[in-house]
Amino acid sequence: MDFQTAAKYASLLSRVYAEDIFALLVNYQAISASEVATRLDLHIKTAQDFLESLAQLGVLTKEEILEKKRPYFRYILNQTRITLDIDLMQVKQEPTHNSLSLIIRERENAGARFVVARSEDYITSVAIWAGEGRERQERKIKLTTPQGRFLYHLPFPKAPPMSVAGIMQKAGVEEHLAPEILDLVQLMEKYGVIEILPK
Amino acid sequence: MSLIRKLKPDRNLTALLVYLSIFPIFGIASLVFGIHTGLTVLAVFLFGFALLYLYAFIRTGNPAQLAVCADGLFFSFMLLILDPDTGWNTREYGMAYFFGILFFGILLVALVITRKFKWRGREVFELAAEAIEEIGDGYTSRPRPVGKVEYSQQEMREYTKFLSRHLIALPFLTSKNTTLVIVKMGEEFGRLLGLSGDYRDATWVNFDADGNVSVHIAQKDYLDYREPLAFDQLCTSLGNLFIDFFELYKKGEGIRAIDRMDNLKLPVLS
Repeated sequence: MDFQTAAKYASLLSRVYAEDIFALLVNYQAISASEVATRLDLHIKTAQDFLESLAQLGVLTKEEILEKKRPYFRYILNQTRITLDIDLMQVKQEPTHNSLSLIIRERENAGARFVVARSEDYITSVAIWAGEGRERQERKIKLTTPQGRFLYHLPFPKAPPMSVAGIMQKAGVEEHLAPEILDLVQLMEKYGVIEILPK
Repeated sequence: MSLIRKLKPDRNLTALLVYLSIFPIFGIASLVFGIHTGLTVLAVFLFGFALLYLYAFIRTGNPAQLAVCADGLFFSFMLLILDPDTGWNTREYGMAYFFGILFFGILLVALVITRKFKWRGREVFELAAEAIEEIGDGYTSRPRPVGKVEYSQQEMREYTKFLSRHLIALPFLTSKNTTLVIVKMGEEFGRLLGLSGDYRDATWVNFDADGNVSVHIAQKDYLDYREPLAFDQLCTSLGNLFIDFFELYKKGEGIRAIDRMDNLKLPVLS
């Protein structure tokens, strides 16, 4: 399951009336939105949205009923168990040869403020400006120690740039910490603190 | 040696204003409270200066600071015992005052001319920029690691004593780091008394316990150069300058470092 689907499930399950609606779905063979609404004293739109969302996720199937009055849907439960199974490794940024060989250095006039640790040679946080115009605000990003050491050894603006792997080696950052370094590189590039140069 | 300066001329009037402020304070105090009080205020002022220089001596070990302290104490005492109605005309007082001025005057002029009283910040910045011809800006507030040096704790302690005694840098020591802050003439009391903010924001060269050397140049000091010198090279050069001084000091040739600075022939009060 991906994060977005899991978020939809979580959002539905967190509603105060979720358990009551599932109780109806489990105990009734099929049920309409108006029946749910009257039974639980909910607004019809609330019940309908909830059931529709479950149907979109495949938890329910809906059946169109054509009677004398205008057509409506009845909802039938497809499964009696919901399992949220998220593979967290799907968001892990596996370092590739390509990402580690990016050639980078600090961007000139980046406007970032670096706070250096008192006792060690690493940077503890970076303050950057985020947003546009009057909405511009200073945002402080705390760094992990390996990230701080990496940033400490980042080449200066106008200095000869270095590869990510090269800076990691110079800073004494171990290879298995590459994902958090690459995350920092991405973030710093997004805020214009570093520049990636052509190889 | 090239006499083309990389730094802008020194136009910092802060120190001068502090010293000159004695006169209006004395004048106003005399006008409002009478000459007795004016002289007392002046004496207290000089005593305050004497204490400042005593603190500077304790902090740096520079003997010239002690001479200025003694000067302040002497004239402070002379003003306190002065009876303005008769005191100026008594022979003993006049002689003591005259010889005091003669002694301290000659001493202070000698100390200034021989640069024993000079904070060497400007010389350090000039030497660091000496070999840099490339213009390129690239300023960043990040420190730059510039190399590694082998030294024992005792060697580093002795070296920092040497630097502070000759007013080349003001050391700040922690258990892991020896941070040498570069101080220009006129900025010394702000830095000594902690009025200039955190020393980590100033220009410094840091030697850590593992021998790593890193450099930070404050933007204010960088803007003091006439041209936007290649910042990367400037940091490296400043770090290497202190490594060179260290090597000279280890060989017992620390005086050569002083000679290099004297050879720049910068104005004695800048």
